[in-house]
Amino acid sequence: MTRKVAIVAGGVTYFSKARKDKTQEELAAEAMRMALYENDINMSKDDIEGSVIGYFSDHFENQLKFGAIIQDYLGLNPKSNVRIEGGGATGGLAIREGYAQVASGLLDVVAVIGFEKMSEVNTAKGNEFIALASDTDWDFPIGGYYSGYYALMARRHMEEFGTTEEQMAMVAVKNRNNAQYNKFAQTNPKMNPYGMRDGGFIKVEDVLKSPYVAYPLKRLDICLMSDGAAVAILASEEKAKKITDTPVWITGTGAGSDAMRAGDRPRDNKSLPLLPHEKPEWYKNLEYPGVHSFRAGREAARQAYKMAGIDNPLKQLDVIELHDAYTSSEIQTYEDLGLARYGEGGKLIQEGQTLVDGEVAVNPSGGLIGNMHAVGATGIMQAVEVFWQLQGIAGKFHGSDKTQVRGAETGLIHSHAGTGTYVTVSVLRR
Amino acid sequence: MTEVFGIDPLIIKNEYFIEYRHSYGKTSPFFENLSKGKIMATRCEHCNKTFMPPRADCPYCLRETKWVEISGKGRIHTFSTMYFAGEKFLKDVPFYLAYVELEGVDTLLLTRIKTKEPEKLKIGMKIKLRIARELEWRASDIWAEPDE
Repeated sequence: MTRKVAIVAGGVTYFSKARKDKTQEELAAEAMRMALYENDINMSKDDIEGSVIGYFSDHFENQLKFGAIIQDYLGLNPKSNVRIEGGGATGGLAIREGYAQVASGLLDVVAVIGFEKMSEVNTAKGNEFIALASDTDWDFPIGGYYSGYYALMARRHMEEFGTTEEQMAMVAVKNRNNAQYNKFAQTNPKMNPYGMRDGGFIKVEDVLKSPYVAYPLKRLDICLMSDGAAVAILASEEKAKKITDTPVWITGTGAGSDAMRAGDRPRDNKSLPLLPHEKPEWYKNLEYPGVHSFRAGREAARQAYKMAGIDNPLKQLDVIELHDAYTSSEIQTYEDLGLARYGEGGKLIQEGQTLVDGEVAVNPSGGLIGNMHAVGATGIMQAVEVFWQLQGIAGKFHGSDKTQVRGAETGLIHSHAGTGTYVTVSVLRR
Repeated sequence: MTEVFGIDPLIIKNEYFIEYRHSYGKTSPFFENLSKGKIMATRCEHCNKTFMPPRADCPYCLRETKWVEISGKGRIHTFSTMYFAGEKFLKDVPFYLAYVELEGVDTLLLTRIKTKEPEKLKIGMKIKLRIARELEWRASDIWAEPDE
C-alpha cells in the first residue's frame, strides 16, 4: 500500500546564461533558501530526512560525485542522499525518486534538488557535451547533435502531418512572452538581474527571421542553456498536513523509454499506447512512433493518467509545464499527452488553446525556451512552477500575476531526455 | 601559469584531456567489411528484423544476430541542413544529415548526405551509401549520395 505524497515547498534561482557569481553548491543553497523561507510552511531544514540530487553532466561540472558536495554545503549530512541522472529528464526522474521514497514509507520528508552550470564551457562545446548523450558510435561521429536530430524529426512531422514553421513560431512567442512576467526567467531582462540583454517580448516574424540552426529550426525555436538550481520538498500525507494548509498532491506518475538512436524505433502500428479517450481507428495508418513522435512520452502519460484518473486531458488539466526543448517538440508533446490527436498538435497552438487563458495553459513559466534549461534543475523547476500555480501564488514568486492560471486545480509536469529516450509525466492536484 | 579570465568573481582556466581505447566489440566486423567494399547489417532470423546500424544481439528476443550484406540503396526518410554543430564539427557547416530507409533494413540509418546539388534533396529521393577510400574506422566512413 503506497502512501499519498505532496509537494509542500519549492524554490528556484534566478536563471542565466552565466551565473559566474555563484558556484553550483551556492546556487543550490539559493534555491533551498527560497524553499525553506519564502513558502508559507511550518517546518525547518532539520525536518528534511534525505535528499535526491539531480544533475546531468559530469562534463559540464568537471566534478564527479557532485551530490556529496551539495549535500554537505546544504548541511544535510549524514542523511540519505542519492544522485539521479537521466539527461534532460533528470529533474522529472528525481521527482519520481523522491515520490517513491515517500510513497514507500522509506522517508517522510525528502528534498529533491537539481542544478546545472553550463556556462563553464563555450556554447559549441556545450552542444558537443549534450551530443555525447546521443549514440557516440553511430550518431555523434557524423556530426550529429541535438538541434540536428530535432530538425530531422520536425521535418518528418511536417511531412506526415502538415505542421508549419509558423505554428512552431507561435510556440516560441507564447513561451518567450510568458517568461516576461517571471522574474527568474533568463529571457526577462526587465525583472531578472542576470537576464539576457537581448531578451524581451517577441513576435512570430522575429522567430521566422531568426537564423536557421538546422532547417526548420531557427535560433528562436530552440531552448536556452542555463545556470541555475531548483528545489522541491516532498512529504507524506501526515507530515504535509502539518507543514502547510495548501499541499499539492502528486496523484499520478509515469515513466517511459525508447531507443537511443531514434532511427531504431519501430515504424509499424503495434506499439502505440492508447489513452482512455482515444480510439484505435484514429491511428490505423500511422507509422508509429517513427521519428515524428515520442513513444516514451505517450507511455509515461498513459501510466500517469491511469493512476490519476485522467480520461480527458485537455479538459481536466488546467496547467502544464512541459519540456519544450524545441518549439517542434512542444507540438509533438501535445500529441503524446493526448491534448490533441496525433497530427493535430500544430492546430492546438494555432487556435490559442495552450495560452495562459486558453483551454490548458502550457508553460506559463516560459518553459525551456523562455525561462531556463539548466538541465538537472529543469524538471524540478517544472514541479515548483505547477506547485505554485495550484496554490494560486505564482504571482507572488514571479513578481507578476499575469501568468497565474485562475482557479487551476489540476496540473501536469513532463520531463524529457534525448530524442525521447527517458520521459516522465506526473499529475499534480491541489 | 594559470590563465585568469576575471577576478570578481575569480575565473580560471581548467583543462582536461582524455584518451579512450574504444572497442567496437561484436560489431567490429562491420568496419572490417567496409575495407572489402561491403556494407553489412545484422539480421535476427527469429524476429525477421534487419538492423543498421548493426546490433550483435536482437533487442526483441535477445538471440544473437547474423551478418548480412545490404545493397546500400534506399530513400531519404527525412533530412536537414546543419548551419551549426557541436564544437568538433563546426568546421564542416553547412552539411546535410538524413535518416535513410535502406533496402532490406527495418531500421532507419542516420547518415550524412554529400551532394553538389543540395537544393534537389527531398523526402523520398533515392540514395546510395558510399564507403570512404581511406577508412577512419568511424560511422563517418559511410555516407549517402543521391542516386537518381
